[in-house]
Amino acid sequence: MSNTAQSNEMKVIREVSIQAENCYKAATALGDHAAHVLGNRHRAQMTGLENVADSTFKTSDVFDYIKRQTARQPHWRQPSPEEKNSGIGFGERLKNYLEGKLKESLKEPLQIIYHHLNIGNNTDEDQQERKRIHLLLIRQIIHHMVIQYEYRVSTPQNNPTNKKRES
Amino acid sequence: MSMLSTAQLQKIALLSDTVLYNEAVAFIRKLVREQDCAPLPNSQVNGLFSIAESSSYDELYRFVVHQRDRNWPPSKRDIKTFYTALEQELSLMYRKRLKDEFLLLTQQNAQEMRKEANDVMALLAREYIQHLMAENGVLQAEAEADDKRKQNRYQKQGRR
Repeated sequence: MSNTAQSNEMKVIREVSIQAENCYKAATALGDHAAHVLGNRHRAQMTGLENVADSTFKTSDVFDYIKRQTARQPHWRQPSPEEKNSGIGFGERLKNYLEGKLKESLKEPLQIIYHHLNIGNNTDEDQQERKRIHLLLIRQIIHHMVIQYEYRVSTPQNNPTNKKRES
Repeated sequence: MSMLSTAQLQKIALLSDTVLYNEAVAFIRKLVREQDCAPLPNSQVNGLFSIAESSSYDELYRFVVHQRDRNWPPSKRDIKTFYTALEQELSLMYRKRLKDEFLLLTQQNAQEMRKEANDVMALLAREYIQHLMAENGVLQAEAEADDKRKQNRYQKQGRR
């Protein structure tokens, strides 16, 4: 890799990290939702999602995986008890957030990155770079989310399934 | 064996994310929500998916046409509707979009162009069907949840 390419890649990593940091609150809320509906017996489903996100080159593979899980696993269709009015299941909420089409999603952070890095939308190269950045951001959000999930289900005082039992 | 270039494979991946994903979602939602079709049953999903994953485009297309032309009983007419619409999508992609819109063909010789078109279509169709099946699963789960809610409502009304 040439020095310029290396420097450009560093810029991408920096911008993605900044926006991932800005999305931390949303990612942890998703992790809490996952902990509520999956509990500590379905860790493999979170690991599976991380593996898909880390190994694929396409954002649509991540969305398809979330949809398949939502279709197959009833837990993924359960709303969060902490957000009483939403009624949206975990899988749909996660997919909507990551797809970046709605207002409260990755849409804005992605636009900021594209703007800061001067990435257009006309050529295939531009679009390929946009998709790669979208995937890098998705990976970081999923990592934050899974860490929060692990934290919530592994510490007894924070485990939502224990709290449910106590009440 | 596919002899596509890295550039072609990258373009197919990009098209999968930017075009095929949205179109596959719209395709199956239109059938289920606007034309009142039931989502494709699991047996069909598994069959179509495994053919798309493992076969050439010719074989996949033959399978779709065969399913379309089968004499389905009235209770399974939605399956015929699904394959009729899918055949139209794939044909349009093969005959027109591959060359005019996706700009994925590089060969000049007619025989080589046909081979290349088949290789590209096998990958595009695989991506399209993967997206379609994922959305179909979500719609199927929604339909089952609706049925359950209706059943519960009837049971409650019956008790009163």
